[in-house]
Amino acid sequence: MDQATVKQSRYGMAIDLDRCTGCGACLMACAVENNVSPGRPTVNERTGTTWMRVIEVQDGRAFPAAETAFIPMMCQQCEEETPCVSVCPQNAVEVDPETGIVGQIPQRCLGCRYCMTACPYHARYYNWWDPQWPEGMEKALNPDVAPRMRGVVEKCNFCHGRLHDARAKAAAKGSREINPTDYIPACVESCPVQAITFGDLNDEAADVARQAKSERAFRFLSRLGTEPKVYYLSGRSWVQRLADRELARSKKETVHG
Amino acid sequence: MDKHLITRGVQRSPFWKFILWILPWGMLLGWGLYGAYLCLAEGLNQTNMDNRFAFGLWIYLDLTVIAFGAGAFFTGFLLYILKRHELKSVINSAVVLGLICYSGAIAVLMVDVGQPLRAWFTFWHPNVHSMLTEVTFCLTCYLTVLILEYAPIVLKNRQIRKIPSYLVFEFNLHKLMVVFAGVGAFLSFFHQGSLGGLYGVLRGRPFAFREELGIWPSTFFLFILSAMAAGPSFILLTTWLVEKLSRKRLVKHETLSYLGKLSGIMLTVYILFKSIDTLIWINSTSPSSGFPAFEYYDRAAFGTWVLFAEVVVFGLLPALLLLRKRFREHRGWLITSAVFVLAGVALNRFVLTIQTLALPTLVFDEFLSYLPSWQEVATFSLVIAYGVVLYSVSFRYLPLFPQERELAQSY
Amino acid sequence: MLPWVYEFRWDLGHIIFLGVFYSVVILIAFTLVRALIRAIRDFKNHRVDHIMWQATFEDLPTPVRACRHELSGEVANRTCPNEFDCRECRTHELFLRKNPASPGGTTPRASGEEQLFGLSFPLDRYYDRGHTWVQPDKDGTVKVGLNDLGARLIGSVENVQLPVIGSRLEVHGTAWHVTRGGADTRILSPIEGTVVEVGGPGKGWYLKVRPEGMETAVRHLLRGAEIKPWLTRELERLQFALSADGVGMSLADGGVPVEDLPKSSPKTDWDAVWGEMFLEA
Repeated sequence: MDQATVKQSRYGMAIDLDRCTGCGACLMACAVENNVSPGRPTVNERTGTTWMRVIEVQDGRAFPAAETAFIPMMCQQCEEETPCVSVCPQNAVEVDPETGIVGQIPQRCLGCRYCMTACPYHARYYNWWDPQWPEGMEKALNPDVAPRMRGVVEKCNFCHGRLHDARAKAAAKGSREINPTDYIPACVESCPVQAITFGDLNDEAADVARQAKSERAFRFLSRLGTEPKVYYLSGRSWVQRLADRELARSKKETVHG
Repeated sequence: MDKHLITRGVQRSPFWKFILWILPWGMLLGWGLYGAYLCLAEGLNQTNMDNRFAFGLWIYLDLTVIAFGAGAFFTGFLLYILKRHELKSVINSAVVLGLICYSGAIAVLMVDVGQPLRAWFTFWHPNVHSMLTEVTFCLTCYLTVLILEYAPIVLKNRQIRKIPSYLVFEFNLHKLMVVFAGVGAFLSFFHQGSLGGLYGVLRGRPFAFREELGIWPSTFFLFILSAMAAGPSFILLTTWLVEKLSRKRLVKHETLSYLGKLSGIMLTVYILFKSIDTLIWINSTSPSSGFPAFEYYDRAAFGTWVLFAEVVVFGLLPALLLLRKRFREHRGWLITSAVFVLAGVALNRFVLTIQTLALPTLVFDEFLSYLPSWQEVATFSLVIAYGVVLYSVSFRYLPLFPQERELAQSY
Repeated sequence: MLPWVYEFRWDLGHIIFLGVFYSVVILIAFTLVRALIRAIRDFKNHRVDHIMWQATFEDLPTPVRACRHELSGEVANRTCPNEFDCRECRTHELFLRKNPASPGGTTPRASGEEQLFGLSFPLDRYYDRGHTWVQPDKDGTVKVGLNDLGARLIGSVENVQLPVIGSRLEVHGTAWHVTRGGADTRILSPIEGTVVEVGGPGKGWYLKVRPEGMETAVRHLLRGAEIKPWLTRELERLQFALSADGVGMSLADGGVPVEDLPKSSPKTDWDAVWGEMFLEA
């Protein structure tokens, strides 16, 4: 089966780090949209589940020159040699050839966590506990997204529920093509400064495709060769140099040397 | 009390002494079962693993015991296929050790996965490109082979062999052992390799990632070689330990020396390829993915001494010792070298499991630490205690060392 | 896993991987079934006794498995490959042809007492490695009994289980069982044939057996000058077996084993000694 003929879209994202204020609205919207259960009281940042993290980084200079950036980090939707896909023993992780989205099938997941060790972005989360919602909150669950059980892995899937919704809408109109404005992930929608752009990278006219080609665009750990489809934008060179260790080092040398 | 069950002509300690020996291990076993039960019933929140440290003590244990258990396939292959008859005196013990290591590893894996009841999914819709699939398939097949290799030893028990149907079946099964030895070697080649490939394919973890040779990363072949080095050493060491504990001579020194030699040869080959592999990785593989290799050894306690210890102290040194006949003839050197070989292989598995996960990938990541919880330690001890109990019972009631009777008469 | 199961693809990876897997599974299953079928066939062909002996023989220490021509000094070092059954042995035939005076080809004298190391080993009969003798009778039957060393090793028995008249004996199958001190010892049959008479209390423990074709039936048994070197080794072996358990009983050099050995050293692990000397694992 030739995937190239089937692949119609390559959904991707561009996140402008110069706009992001680190407010965290995206990760809240994500959790609500995708029925991520609130953590137990004992949970910490390494055991809790949040499909999206916002990481604070600093350039290391002293106040008042110090600069800060916030990096929203979720599944980077690797396109080539997708690390988590090839390692899963039972096909519970798959790249949809029609959308390029790396999907996780929790119903099939064994919970071996091999995909988690494979992911360089730490974007995968294991359900260490049974999901639990405070009394009454379960009424607010999103009916389009199935909650996951204890012992399986989950991660960002570009709001798969919303893709289904958009497809249903298109189908109702007798079309096979979805309207791009019908499919917008929750984080994109919730960002108050519109730092996140989402769309089909194959569509030259799409904002996201244009931004991905901008001079300010870079991807984290791109030298691993996994071709992530989440781009980050920044005009600040110290932020761009966070892309990988070799770059980060070159900066240190110029500073100290 | 149980004299009628003990092989004729061998001396075993009185029954009460045996019970006294088993009792503490039985208690450890009970504690381990409780820990494992908690992990299964309450979930893996009982462990100290987390989203960042997704593998821990258990995977390390699995990799190590499976490497140590490689002696079963390696001696089986040498004895039945290459007809090295000097190994006949340890093959039964090697099979029991192999069975313990593999069944223990599989038991722990079943606790380690979040949904053990879905384990059969791997068979139902396997991802044939995953190293873990290869491991799962081979481990299950090989455990079956080990059980079939262990069965004739059980059927040789003094009382069981009196039952004619068992004896005749045992006899015929034993005649076909060459098939099982061949299948065992074939399967072991793949799963020992795939366990190494497990880390070698992790493109996202440049500390573990290695270039591919054919369809497998180089760690695939390094694991096979290191397991073949560790296997004979493990048999050597356990045999020596059992001799010490039971105060008996069980095998001739030539056999132990031969096992040491096997270990030495395999270790030399391994260290040679490991060194080449390390150099390629430091100079090419790792930097080309944006990761300067020296940074790996710049964190916490993990200095370059780890690499030095693995390759030189616990690699080259025992290899050179074991290659020299003079050192092999000396009990002390032989045993020390075997311990070093095992330490080196265990360290290699530790580095690949623990250091790989502790090291950061993103620039703004931190070096992580992880300390197993008591439930993890308990489950770990479960395997150790299970192994000691199964081996002790086998040693007492089954003819593990065919030379024992002969040696007892020769002083 | 199977072509109709979701996620199965007819690509090279799947075909190779699953092909290898199924081959291994089939090979394992096939081997197991083959062992089972062979076991059933052996059962039907009444080969149980023979297999029991073969299995035991494989476990014997190498020096015990020495060829009779090594015992007689005709060859320096040879381990018997035929479980002490020279009836079909080509090498035995060659030895006899090359050396007509070979002790293995002699026939026992008509009569004669012979004392070896103070034990009675008359030369009018054949001896088997399992410490039994075979004495041919004029009527074409043979008498089978324990040799003097065997009798002294067992001493006074508590119970003897003799075969029923009319049953068949196999070479190195079970002739009869003796029980003493709770330990059960199997006495190996030196000869193949049908039991026509058995001894009993007062008559002595013996069997009368009708073999088929006397000439070949006794070919594998020791005789004449072969007995002494074999017995020498057996006494050495006994000495080792007795010293192994640390009780420290010893057969003084040149001393004669007493009539009832177990009675003279009750602390010795006799079960082990009997197993060792009567070639039973």
